[in-house]
Amino acid sequence: MACMNEEGQWIVLMGLLVAVGLFFLALIINQSALVGQTTAEGVLEFPKNDIRDLREAIFDYVDKYGNVDAAGNPSAKAVRDDIIAISLDRKNAVVDFKVKDRIYISGQWAYPVEIHYNNGVTEYDETVYRY
Amino acid sequence: MVNDSGQLYTMEGIAAGLVMLLTAYLILSTTSIYTQGDTHIPDMQLEQLGSDVLAMMDTPDREGGKNQLVEFINENNGGGFKDKFLEYCNAKTSGDLDTLHMSASVTYRKEDRIEEHQLVGPDETWTGRESAVRVTRWVQLDQHQQLSPRQPYGQRAQAVLVEVLLWRA
Repeated sequence: MACMNEEGQWIVLMGLLVAVGLFFLALIINQSALVGQTTAEGVLEFPKNDIRDLREAIFDYVDKYGNVDAAGNPSAKAVRDDIIAISLDRKNAVVDFKVKDRIYISGQWAYPVEIHYNNGVTEYDETVYRY
Repeated sequence: MVNDSGQLYTMEGIAAGLVMLLTAYLILSTTSIYTQGDTHIPDMQLEQLGSDVLAMMDTPDREGGKNQLVEFINENNGGGFKDKFLEYCNAKTSGDLDTLHMSASVTYRKEDRIEEHQLVGPDETWTGRESAVRVTRWVQLDQHQQLSPRQPYGQRAQAVLVEVLLWRA
């Protein structure tokens, strides 16, 4: 090691730094593609629009029929059966909902609505008060 | 006896070589081929656009006003539905129109059977290989008042499912 030529060390050091910098930049690019992909996959997988849409269909039903006994009202029963049967056939989702007696809540009368949704991957249950 | 001068240079050279190899490997591995199965991000955006348009059409223009989607279905007006849907999809302030195409069907229940009625048929760009997205919307039809039967759904009040296939071509 004696008499080693020590010239040009800065150049060598800078070369090393540039290489390390490139290494990290490549790592960031590599990961970013993956992040966008998995996010979009997650969004597509979760049936957000299906659930939102189902809630609105049920709210339309509640607005129209309230909590009439479906057995005694053929019109309400038909709409309810439509929602359940078409959900199973076209969306592969088991759906059920129940409208209970109106209660007085926060100064307003509201129907408590129980909504159940299950498509085998995502299970969703909620009780919502519909004014 | 081997000459032992320049050992540090040798080690440095090996280290630099390794870093360069690793970097080259990483850079090359980031170059991915964009395949059909890899279109999740545009699919997600297209699906959101489509379901927003359907939600907008399902909303009355004022309190007690007309609901466009219900009207198109009641009148079985597939052409009008297609024109309005694509117009809303392309509602932007400037730039070229998007090359979107669509087909639509309505699923309804008739006693124990689930039936499907083609509201808008696919156009000539449909080859079956498009990366199409499906957007859906529940629509509640009231009891039909007119004497003429509402084809093909029947007179009773009912909930039907509108399904739109949306693709770029």
